[in-house]
Amino acid sequence: MSDAAHGRRRRSSSLIYTEPPETIEQQSDQAALPNLNASWVNSKGAWTIHVVLIIALKIFYDTMPGVSQETSWTLTNISYMAGSYLMFHWVQGIPFEFNAGAYDNLNMWEQIDNGDQYTPTKKFLLTVPIVLFLMSTHYTHYDLTYFIINCLAVLAVVIPKLPSSHRMRVGLFTVPEE
Amino acid sequence: MDLHDAYVLLNWSAGELSTRFQRVPGSQILLRYIKSSYQNDPVRSVVELCLFLFAVRYLLAPRYSTTQKGAVELTEDEIDELVEDWTPEPLVPGLTEVEQAENEKRPVIVGPTGPKVKLSNGRTVNNFASYNFFNFVSNELLKDRAVQVLRNYGVGACGPPNFYGTQDVHMDTERDIAKFLGMPACIIYAQAFSTISSVIPAFSKRGDIIVADKAVNFAIQKGLQISRSTIRWYEHNDMEDLGRVLEQVKRDMARKPLTRRFIVTEGLFENTGDIVDLPAIIELKQRYKYRLILDESYSFGVLGRTGRGVTEHQNVDPQSVEMLVGSLAHGICSGGGFCAGSPEVVDHQRISSSAYVFSAALPAMLAVTTSETLKLLEGNPQVLTALRENIKAFRNQMDRCEYVECTSSLDNPVCMFILKRDGLEGRIFGNEEKILMDIVDEALANSVMISRVKHIYETQGTKPFGWRCVPSFKACITIGHTKKEVEKAGSVVRQAVGKVMARLKK
Repeated sequence: MSDAAHGRRRRSSSLIYTEPPETIEQQSDQAALPNLNASWVNSKGAWTIHVVLIIALKIFYDTMPGVSQETSWTLTNISYMAGSYLMFHWVQGIPFEFNAGAYDNLNMWEQIDNGDQYTPTKKFLLTVPIVLFLMSTHYTHYDLTYFIINCLAVLAVVIPKLPSSHRMRVGLFTVPEE
Repeated sequence: MDLHDAYVLLNWSAGELSTRFQRVPGSQILLRYIKSSYQNDPVRSVVELCLFLFAVRYLLAPRYSTTQKGAVELTEDEIDELVEDWTPEPLVPGLTEVEQAENEKRPVIVGPTGPKVKLSNGRTVNNFASYNFFNFVSNELLKDRAVQVLRNYGVGACGPPNFYGTQDVHMDTERDIAKFLGMPACIIYAQAFSTISSVIPAFSKRGDIIVADKAVNFAIQKGLQISRSTIRWYEHNDMEDLGRVLEQVKRDMARKPLTRRFIVTEGLFENTGDIVDLPAIIELKQRYKYRLILDESYSFGVLGRTGRGVTEHQNVDPQSVEMLVGSLAHGICSGGGFCAGSPEVVDHQRISSSAYVFSAALPAMLAVTTSETLKLLEGNPQVLTALRENIKAFRNQMDRCEYVECTSSLDNPVCMFILKRDGLEGRIFGNEEKILMDIVDEALANSVMISRVKHIYETQGTKPFGWRCVPSFKACITIGHTKKEVEKAGSVVRQAVGKVMARLKK
């Protein structure tokens, strides 16, 4: 289990750390079966569901008594961003036993399209939060507080989607796994 | 005036642009949006504009792969040329001189196997090369029973146990083995080799930790590799080293998420013939909270007062071993393997152990033969005493040989001999396989068939996996021979060793 053997060497002092490339053994395990955890985003209806979910969230917050239009838009925005951050960038690995754990170190965004950048699905998934943000700032009537909240939320999902954040981990409080 | 003309032109083109823009559908909405969004807050507008421009840039960027960097584009001709130039490496390396000679001299048995076998060259020799310890191979009762089951059930089960391969006899056999061992549950596999190499990956996955003895056999090595777990080795049968490795793992994993942890070892080692120190391992595994996977392929049916294996031999409660794996193909002379453990351990394997899920079930006659053999063993514990007598007789003869030493445990019917190095270091080194082959040939010429231990060395990438065993030859003792015959065979082997070594000394 030496670091060299696993190719996951890291200086304990650095906060930012890049996931090293997979070993041959890991690559063959990854290729053993199609990655169903990531491939569904390219299938029929996977794009529509984002729009449907956002509308559903908006309706849900609208029906709650005492919630103003501004708060409702902001809540919709935050909920969508939090959900997509959790799904695409926080959870690592695959919930099923298909590839003998060969994807354990990658989050879902990095698994989509085998890590290729600027694919149609990735373009769509990046556009949705930006459009949602522009809409919610518009409908919150450009109130500065709402703007700051929405802006931070959108940055939290846009920055990890950048090609330069590919396989990058930031460890503030956690000890990285070896 | 030039300046005036330019001004007019600019004014005109601006007006033209604006009317054209207003003709585009949706332009009014956009204008209204921009006007209302500006709101005397340039900083915020700039942020929004930047985000919008970034999105546009992202949408226009071409796709690229992060995994295949710098792949060279080749033309069709260049590809053809490279294919032309390419000479494939052989799938298997060519035979070495020793292997060539061995292929030519390999004895071939004609007719049924047993303590005495007829070779294809017409000679009858004493067979000391089969795991037929209790001579169950020649047992008429077992043969009759097998034939009877064959007539009722047919040859194969023709399906994996989870589909329609499970027959009543399989369930009976599982119960019989569990009862024989004193374990709560048991699962039987169709093949001895794939039992352990399938049990290990069923429980241990990538990220889990396995601490294994360096001398474990090939089937275990395969299981360790397939499991993709993190493997730590300890020196063969060295309990101090095991303690050190466990302590090291504990320190390394102190602040990491909890993983499954296993100790993997053998009862009687296939590669060295010696016996595990089970009480010490149980003590360590309980102290460091590990599970134990114990391969009893060679000790099941052989060790202990009634043949219940290494747990009985060393007075250990079998239930303190989480996965007790054994073979029915060695001492039991039937076929297949088993894994005994708690009901949870067994049930987990029924849907997640690849050899159980994807292989056809054990033929019914082998299952029944197993049950009958266990009954025979339980009813006649004197066969074990007789076997140990024969082992002792053979080893007494071999102990008088100055050139070899036996690495096997005293109760192991597989007696493994390695060459002593002292004095002959220079002549033996690098030449051992050849010397051992000469000894085996010499013994065969005197009607005693023994065999040289053959190894396949595994590599993982470029590094060797497991350890390199010391070359050895082995003699398998059976109660099918009388004590006289065994003593005779011992002296034949001893003289063969003496003769070959004397030739070497010259």
